[in-house]
Amino acid sequence: MDNVATHENWKTRFSELAPGLVLFARQWVRSQADAEDVVREAFVRFWRRDHNIDNRPLLYAAVRSAALDLIRRDGRRARRENEVYSGMAQFSDPQFETIDDSQGVLATSIDRLPHEQREVLVMKIWNELTFAEIAEALEISPNTASSRYRYALAALKKDLLPQ
Amino acid sequence: MNDDFSELEDQLKNLRPVPASEELFANIEQELVDLASEKDPKIGRPVRFRINWLAVGAGLAAAAVIVIFARVNFRTPAQTQNVASVSPAPGVGSTTTPAQFIPAGATQVVYHTRDEGLLFPRGSEEPVRRVRSRIRETLQWQNPATGASLRVSYPSEQVELIPVSGQ
Repeated sequence: MDNVATHENWKTRFSELAPGLVLFARQWVRSQADAEDVVREAFVRFWRRDHNIDNRPLLYAAVRSAALDLIRRDGRRARRENEVYSGMAQFSDPQFETIDDSQGVLATSIDRLPHEQREVLVMKIWNELTFAEIAEALEISPNTASSRYRYALAALKKDLLPQ
Repeated sequence: MNDDFSELEDQLKNLRPVPASEELFANIEQELVDLASEKDPKIGRPVRFRINWLAVGAGLAAAAVIVIFARVNFRTPAQTQNVASVSPAPGVGSTTTPAQFIPAGATQVVYHTRDEGLLFPRGSEEPVRRVRSRIRETLQWQNPATGASLRVSYPSEQVELIPVSGQ
């Protein structure tokens, strides 16, 4: 329960985590602004409870919980949740800074992944969590986390193959 | 992970997420500062600030009580003197009792206002702007019979959440 973040280092630590945290939050909300709002609420809640900022599974679980709270509070957002869980989400804001067409195609393919696979992929690739940490954050087994990651990569590879 | 996927993993790692905005950092910092002022601070304003306000408030309250008692004591000898006089002065026997103070005025001076930026309250669609004001309020009472006056002045802080429309 010791919060190692001080005024001097929280910004440094948070700036390292922020892009990945916002991308993680984007799995539940359509806009970048909503995702940042989720991250802000989660981070302040996390800080208020004196958690260690280096406890990444707990931090990502807090973001996930804040995102789900947000969409449950609002009926309109609840419809988005249904879309997310049915794997049909269409994002209004770009999630990635694509520099060429191939990256654009890859980003579109990621959007098409089933939610539970995309969630693990985001945590693994852009947040560099281990499968054990992902498992703890999502309350699944490490084997399930690893399987979802492999399924995600396989689906992307299949999607990107020339027709 | 798997050699079959290593090239794909490299491609994915080259894809950069949209960076977080400066506003996110500013909003979090503001909330952490507010939080630090509520509980044992890790950042932000020192505890001394709040304790001083409490001490000042308690001191003012004590001073007000002392002044009221002092006025009552001053009137006691004067009443004795009136009873002893043979011909009381005309017009003094009004309904106002000697120790009665009536409100004579109140002022409220806003001496510092700070715009703390936009917030998105839970459950709200619209952002609100938080404005914190520091105010000094002064209340004054007067005793019409004796001309004595009593003044109490104390600081207060007010936080206003102003809805922002058209954004």
